[in-house]
Amino acid sequence: MTSPESKPDPVAAGTDPQRPPIPALLAEMNRDHLDPGYAAAARRKSAAPAPAPDAGGTRRSTVLAVVVLLVAGVLFGISAVNRETNAPRAEKARTALLEDVDRAQERQSVLAGSAAALAQELRSTQAQLGAGGPLETVSALENAGQITPVTGPGLRIVINEAPADTAGGGGVILDRDVQLLVNDLWASGAEAISIGGVRLQPRSAIRQAGGSILVDNKPVFWPITIDAIGDPTGMQVKSVGLPGFGRFSSFAQLYDIEFDVSTQQRLDLPGGSGGALRYARAPGSTTAASSTAASSTAPSAAAPSSTDPSAAAASSAASAWTRTAPTG
Amino acid sequence: MYALLALAAGVVIGLLVHPTVPEWLGPYLPIAVVAALDAVFGGLRARLDNIFDAKVFVVSFIANVLVAAFIVFLGDQLGVGAQLSTAVVVVLGIRIFGNAAAIRRHIFKA
Repeated sequence: MTSPESKPDPVAAGTDPQRPPIPALLAEMNRDHLDPGYAAAARRKSAAPAPAPDAGGTRRSTVLAVVVLLVAGVLFGISAVNRETNAPRAEKARTALLEDVDRAQERQSVLAGSAAALAQELRSTQAQLGAGGPLETVSALENAGQITPVTGPGLRIVINEAPADTAGGGGVILDRDVQLLVNDLWASGAEAISIGGVRLQPRSAIRQAGGSILVDNKPVFWPITIDAIGDPTGMQVKSVGLPGFGRFSSFAQLYDIEFDVSTQQRLDLPGGSGGALRYARAPGSTTAASSTAASSTAPSAAAPSSTDPSAAAASSAASAWTRTAPTG
Repeated sequence: MYALLALAAGVVIGLLVHPTVPEWLGPYLPIAVVAALDAVFGGLRARLDNIFDAKVFVVSFIANVLVAAFIVFLGDQLGVGAQLSTAVVVVLGIRIFGNAAAIRRHIFKA
């Protein structure tokens, strides 16, 4: 594209204000908007006026230019039609993934529901058949392991984080606070607890992942409802002096979080997930030992974060469960 | 005159034919469109400056589109596709703005 006469004279280059030897990139970008080829071609043309035989060549390039413009128009038209192709792919992928997650969660809850129904059916059939002995022990252990759905009177606690625009700076409720509260409930005589519809079983953990609280590895959403089955008035009286309740009532005053305790005559709690059974195995032997040795029914770990001595109290209270009628 | 007609006809064809853009071409289409816009605005400005040259226009159009697409392709292979397409859009965008301003000065004398 460079013609011989447009090449800067090495001597004159330093003095010519139009063509500095090394133009600053940004300055050039700000000045030379037009393709320099046009100027060069015009200079070439003025230097050598086009003779007659060149006419065919110009005609050809004019036709070519028209064709190129046609192509450009097609390009614009296509891109106008295919706007969705230009839409950010990341956004589309994200929506698709979110839909996948939703579908999987729906499927999981359906499967969990059918598993609970089947287990219930199994238990009622066993009760009808009047199978005693070991089966009774199993169902008692299942009760203690918080696997069976239960119904009864109790306390309902609703907690929610402070609204984001309050002066307190948006206090955040952490998993530690919920753990303390739940330990207080066990200590004041709760027999079964569910958080946001997820039943606590001996091996459940209350953890935090990012901004959300996970109970038994399932996310629960604000506002969180904690249902505890037990003697409502007794639990209320006992829990007032305990540290978790004190912490939450002071939070409610200082940071404007929501903390409502109410007594309920009837609470329906779902069954816990139970967890996968682990089988004992004699060292050296390859055959599995007795299949009833499920560690999840060990009664010594009835509280989710069993750092509190009240866990033992809770598990002893769990034995007084005849009135919750798990087998319907 | 023919140029404007060709451009309009092209747009109409593109809108009516509804061609399916192949998946691998998807990321390069917007860049190609920006490069084509740059060439078209440059040609229009050159026309108004009375220095339009059909050969320069054709060559600059094809080269612009191909180089822009190639830069983005290279960036995709190197893992910096988004940044390089930003660079291409910035450079071509500045040129489009400059040429559009020159065209505006020509037409409105302001």
